[in-house]
Amino acid sequence: MTPEIGHILLIVFLVLSFAGGFLPLTSVYLNNQTFEIPIKKLAFSLFLLIFLSFLSLVYSFLIDDFSVAYVSQNSNTNLPFYYKFAATWGAHEGSLLLWILAMNAWLISFMFLTKCSDKNFTNAVFSISCQVMFSFCLFTLLTSNPFERILPIPPLNGADLNPSLQDIAFTIHPPLLYFGYSGLMIPFAIAVAAMLFNVDTKEWATYSRPWTLLSCSFLTLGIALGSWWAYYELGWGGWWFWDPVENAAFVPWLLSVALFHSLIASQSRSVFGKWSILLSIFAFATSLLGTFLVRSGILTSVHAFALDPERGVFILGILGFFVIGSLLIYSLKDFKKDEVKPYQLSSKEFGFLLNNLLLVILAVSILFGTIFPLIYEAATNGKQISVGAPYFEIILFPFALALGLLQGIALYLSWGVTSSFNFLQRLTLESVSLFGIILLVLFILFDNLYLSSFATIFLACWIVAGTLQVSKKRNLNYWNFLKKRLAVTFAHVGMAILVLGVGVVTSYSIEKELILTPGDEFEFGDQKITFQSIEDTLGPNYFSKSANIIFEDEKDISSVVTEKRTYTPSGQLTTEAGIVTEPFQDLYISMGDNLEADIWSFKVQIKPFIRWIWLGALLIAIGSMLAGLNRIQRS
Amino acid sequence: MKKLIDILPLIIFAILIVVLFSFLSNKNNQLETVLIDDTFPKFSLSSLEDDSRLLTQADISELPALINVWATWCIACKVEHPFLMKLKTESILPIYGLNYKDNREKALELLKRDGNPFEFSIFDFEGRLAIDLGVYGAPETFFIDRNGVIRERHVGVVDDKIWEEKFAKYLYE
Repeated sequence: MTPEIGHILLIVFLVLSFAGGFLPLTSVYLNNQTFEIPIKKLAFSLFLLIFLSFLSLVYSFLIDDFSVAYVSQNSNTNLPFYYKFAATWGAHEGSLLLWILAMNAWLISFMFLTKCSDKNFTNAVFSISCQVMFSFCLFTLLTSNPFERILPIPPLNGADLNPSLQDIAFTIHPPLLYFGYSGLMIPFAIAVAAMLFNVDTKEWATYSRPWTLLSCSFLTLGIALGSWWAYYELGWGGWWFWDPVENAAFVPWLLSVALFHSLIASQSRSVFGKWSILLSIFAFATSLLGTFLVRSGILTSVHAFALDPERGVFILGILGFFVIGSLLIYSLKDFKKDEVKPYQLSSKEFGFLLNNLLLVILAVSILFGTIFPLIYEAATNGKQISVGAPYFEIILFPFALALGLLQGIALYLSWGVTSSFNFLQRLTLESVSLFGIILLVLFILFDNLYLSSFATIFLACWIVAGTLQVSKKRNLNYWNFLKKRLAVTFAHVGMAILVLGVGVVTSYSIEKELILTPGDEFEFGDQKITFQSIEDTLGPNYFSKSANIIFEDEKDISSVVTEKRTYTPSGQLTTEAGIVTEPFQDLYISMGDNLEADIWSFKVQIKPFIRWIWLGALLIAIGSMLAGLNRIQRS
Repeated sequence: MKKLIDILPLIIFAILIVVLFSFLSNKNNQLETVLIDDTFPKFSLSSLEDDSRLLTQADISELPALINVWATWCIACKVEHPFLMKLKTESILPIYGLNYKDNREKALELLKRDGNPFEFSIFDFEGRLAIDLGVYGAPETFFIDRNGVIRERHVGVVDDKIWEEKFAKYLYE
């Protein structure tokens, strides 16, 4: 019964969200009270419906109801209960349900936390959000119903959750990303509502800013977790692969970062009003586009979803409807001129403009690189090409450099015109000193300096010095000053730490393929590696060969286990890397093939500073989260 | 007259949508092979019984026939097994096995112990043919008519009831 209840709740949700999508707007346009509905109550009921519907799917997973097709495809009696729970969003159908739930959670938070004086405006935001949720719900019910049954004779056991998803980071990575993606619905709805009701740039930017920041924070967390997962689960020791699906998340992230920066200027100075509207639309559009690319099966990637071309058409339809619709409003509307105070090249406004241009061009280039193989395939009648890391790295580097340099001076700039650039001297002095200290530390740690890492390390120092702004405020109460700017300090220093991590790890990493039998030793860098033994182990739903490895240097000895797992229900193989984490480096070993009886191949790597990448991302997420929550509190 | 720059985003995006749509229809043609009423996909995989013997679609020669996706790790397949044996002993129609992501030794052992209802089994360790067929999991059964066209598929255990409802009608066509 439970799946049917969930199904019915979803249908009720569909009907109510349809009503919510049209009635409030109708009442505004006809100026007729009869269509007016209590939108807060409706929003709350919608949330309850989708929440219970989601719970009923969770329940079907927990009780192993394999008569539900989705459960039988993604679960198994031997799966530990927490993975059964997470399997709810482990594939396409269930993740859509979570997506709608997330959109609804954002909508409710917006309606209860952001106080708008203009009732029409709130009604419009609500209606547009309802329309988006309606389209997703329709999509779910028509093409991807998670409650479909296999009757009359259900399978006795399920096919199991994809083994590489059976991992703690990977169970929370999708929800965080979905919250990030779906959160971009709010700035989109606000932008469209602002166009419909001629809301002042200042005003709607104020409403939009916290929600953009929060979505961005979730996106950051989701992407970072995905990267961390790929690092220890895929067994290559890489942390970013320029996989189409990673790009599909990276592009909306870049646009959301651009958007909240441009919103700062819009809110404070009424500038970039139209630009911010376009960015809001495109940030949302790229998050839908990512969904489309992943789930229509037109791009191949490690994130394989069950492919169904019908779904692709549907998502494209949703994307087309909302984006073309809103751009149509944009192109037809007569924007009234905001009163803008003039600004010069040296102003903060111009800084934001430059930041936005760089971020947007970067986003477009990455998007282009992602879609180009498709264009090529179509143009050459089926010849395949892959655009890989070299293209993206060449593109990324100059933009990252320019953005980082800008980031260093950005906080010193003033609105209108920056009267003095004296800070440059101090800034240079501070960042060069920091640069020297870091080089010294690196030299002590690794006995080596690589020229190739100098640019990124200096950039990191430049950003840190620029963020802490010691030279600007050195006579005032410095700690109070930093505390007031806690959010931006977190986010910008986080970016510096990330840049530093990337710079060091790309230059200082070493790796080697080894062939060992139990008892063998190998000298690698300053480490002595011992392959102690190999054993068979048995997990709840897998069996594995696990190798015990010992890393030994002058100071300490640590032992790790690396495994090759075979998941019994599906027969799939996964590699579990063995990782020793030290403050400044990771010792990483992953098991390769069984060459002969007891002879195994291994890949061993030393990855200095790699943790700093995710630490940086975490700080960025905390920073934008703080900024978002702060803004909500203030409004 | 609106300024062109205000309409530009709309035009660019509309083009993008059209381009993406055309990719999608390209891909559709390729994906349709997995669907009902199409010929069995081409493959070239080793036989379960003899890894040096290469099987192709031409080896599925006695038609009409069933293709049954099975594996030793699949518990529901064990439930289905007696019914397949019954089809075999009553000589109703030939069944070809598709051994899916399995261990060769274990699979052969199972067939030796419980009986082998299959003419032969295709050993699809990486699930390549299974992907072409759009297999959800095991067990799964496809009906191939005398022209080599896939007419019906069933996900889950086939028993007398399913046989009568879904498959029997194609046998006497």
